[in-house]
Amino acid sequence: MASIKCPKCAAPVPFDTGVKFVKCPYCSSLVYIDRTGAGFYYAIPFMVNENDAVGTFRRWAAGSTKAKDLDKLAQLAGVKKKYFPVYMFKRDVNGVEQVFIETAGSTTLPGLHNLKVPAGDLKVYDATFDVGGAELIKPDIEMTPYLNSLPGKPKEQALVFFPIWTIDYVFNQKKYGAVVDASSGEVFSSEFPTRSSNAYMAVAGAGFVAFIGEGLLATSMLIPAIALMAVTVVAVFYVGLQVARRM
Amino acid sequence: MKIVQVKCPSCNQAIMMKEKDKLFYCDKCNVMHIREGGAPEKVDFEIAEFSPKAQGEKVYMPFWRLYTTFIVRSKNVEGGTIFKMSQWLKGGSDSGNMFIYIPAAELDAGTFRKFSTMFTGAAPRYPTRLNFNNVRRLPGTLPKQEAAQLADFVVVTMEAEQPGVLQKLDYSLTVNDTKLVYLPFVMTPQGPMSAL
Amino acid sequence: MSDGISVGLNCPACGGAISMAEGENVVLCQYCSSVLAAEGDQGVHTVAFKNKTLKDAAMGASQHWWTHGLKARDLKTTGKIVESYPIYLPFWKTTTRVAGWVCGYEERRHTDQKGNVTVERIPKEVMVLQDFTFSEIACDPGDLGIRTMKNFMGETTFANFEEIPTFESTTSKDAAATRGLNDSLAKARANAHVPQVTLDTLKAFNKGLTLIYYPVWVVRYNYRDRMYMDTVDGVTGQVLSGRAPGDPLFQSLAMTGGTSVGGLIAAAGIIYAQSASDMRIALGAVAVGAIILFLTYRFFRHGSEIIQGEFKEKKSIASALKQVQQVGKALEGLR
Repeated sequence: MASIKCPKCAAPVPFDTGVKFVKCPYCSSLVYIDRTGAGFYYAIPFMVNENDAVGTFRRWAAGSTKAKDLDKLAQLAGVKKKYFPVYMFKRDVNGVEQVFIETAGSTTLPGLHNLKVPAGDLKVYDATFDVGGAELIKPDIEMTPYLNSLPGKPKEQALVFFPIWTIDYVFNQKKYGAVVDASSGEVFSSEFPTRSSNAYMAVAGAGFVAFIGEGLLATSMLIPAIALMAVTVVAVFYVGLQVARRM
Repeated sequence: MKIVQVKCPSCNQAIMMKEKDKLFYCDKCNVMHIREGGAPEKVDFEIAEFSPKAQGEKVYMPFWRLYTTFIVRSKNVEGGTIFKMSQWLKGGSDSGNMFIYIPAAELDAGTFRKFSTMFTGAAPRYPTRLNFNNVRRLPGTLPKQEAAQLADFVVVTMEAEQPGVLQKLDYSLTVNDTKLVYLPFVMTPQGPMSAL
Repeated sequence: MSDGISVGLNCPACGGAISMAEGENVVLCQYCSSVLAAEGDQGVHTVAFKNKTLKDAAMGASQHWWTHGLKARDLKTTGKIVESYPIYLPFWKTTTRVAGWVCGYEERRHTDQKGNVTVERIPKEVMVLQDFTFSEIACDPGDLGIRTMKNFMGETTFANFEEIPTFESTTSKDAAATRGLNDSLAKARANAHVPQVTLDTLKAFNKGLTLIYYPVWVVRYNYRDRMYMDTVDGVTGQVLSGRAPGDPLFQSLAMTGGTSVGGLIAAAGIIYAQSASDMRIALGAVAVGAIILFLTYRFFRHGSEIIQGEFKEKKSIASALKQVQQVGKALEGLR
């Protein structure tokens, strides 16, 4: 845990990221942490390991809008553990607190349209922080220009590294990419093989029309109509099952 | 952040209190002040005398008393007899000046409504005194600015509680003057009761 | 860490150490009873709820949840919990008092035996003086499926704070307070039940803003090589949100039911309309059939994953009904 120097007894006082007040464990004085003038480095620990990230990707790939059996047929071409940087500024704009999230580099994540700080346990990123073998994407934009251009007075400013797994995969000879947020498990992707609704619509439409027709027929020829309905029930059920089944 | 000692803006004496209160009272020079925007601001106040018959646990409850000008431009009431504001507005027409009482202590919604309409409907008359005589003061939590915004709720409530169903009320309300008034109460199992 | 960011808090009058919590702006010195005021950013009143759910209970609640609803039938035998751990999620909770009046009227249509329509106008005046509570998650909700607090009761303590990972608040408290005000005004207007408003004097006042750290269990489980997740309330032990695999059998059954019931209703309407020679009945019946078809189709198309909770992509029943209404309006235009 990071620490600050107690202004009274000079002992190191450990503090957690979210707090403003902390008690010195040696002299018990209450210390206020003033973040207005300092820039912080935070990192969010990985809560999703590689296996879980691939599993989460497969769950996402099995979604109804993804190509049929994408979860089974996608061939993994590379899974990488990374820390992605983003700036977070808390400002006092005319007495109202505002949060600004700004880009820290030229690298972008596919599918992450609005830059954000994902949910996570922010830890102070210093020499003692263990990145766990993740590649740290270095910010190539400085914090200072933002400080000068953002409105209001500073309350807190930080560079936040958030944990991601980038997954490259191949489907039908085409390369795609997805990103799994390793704190909350969210999956981002800009482009993915999709699944058409046509088969589903065909079953629904044909079944509906058939039952209307059979219903109308029932007034003149009851027995054949009922027989036809039985056939349609079985047909819709069977075809529906084949369309919905994905293994 | 900075911690400052709260001192009386008039005599610069340190304020001492047993209960947390946003209304700071200096018992040395009898000055009341608030710090809503950060800077100290003196508040005009008066303390009402307890009725000699008052029995039980005595408390002083703070009220913001707003001296307001209320102008009704048009109104529309369905059914019932059309009630004239003039019955309780001074001035004989639908418009005029009146005192509005807004409780400044932490009260539940029902009690808040009861006391605000009770005192606004019939302005209390009382002899005043110069100190609290060691009676407990209920802490003030409602800021002065909020009291001004709540004033029109009290006025519309008094209007709507009359016969008929209010449909439209086009009015303006201006606060000319604000005074803090401490009214005497006794605590009962049914809640605080006026001890004027 | 850098120096110069720690400020010692002592009573400026007697030098005694001050004990104060975040969000307090008036403090009494415990030694000399001086009244002290905090100037500047003094933070937000913060509380944390005690985590009362044990790991086994969280896992048990998840496994029980698997057996409910239209989830894969083999989930309880094939699904395997990989990990479960508690986290503290931050929420903004605002208390708002709404005061004012909503006046207006309600129109009721009466049709007498001769078919004459009379409109009765019932005037209404409704007083609102009520306290409302609003909550929203104070960080990005990600894929947790949680956006608001479901429970506000519980033991508050910071005792679990060290051992449970704490997700920090990263959204603006003032933006949350503004949303709290707007939300309570909207709720108050809805509660007043005045359909046609002629006078609205409602005002909302902020009575308090609290940052609440709420314990939530994250349960990750594996089903046929896919990783699913659900969350369990650390106070009440209930499943809050989650994703689970669906079952093609249920999807197909829904479609079979939807096409048959929808189609037969439409057909019955057409037949009845022919004998009564009123085309409106036929159109109405076809519309009802189409609505049933549409609702079951949605499940047929997207039922391969069952989701519960406040997810981004969740298409709620309410939004489905809204779509149905729009279809209905379009049909009305055709008549």
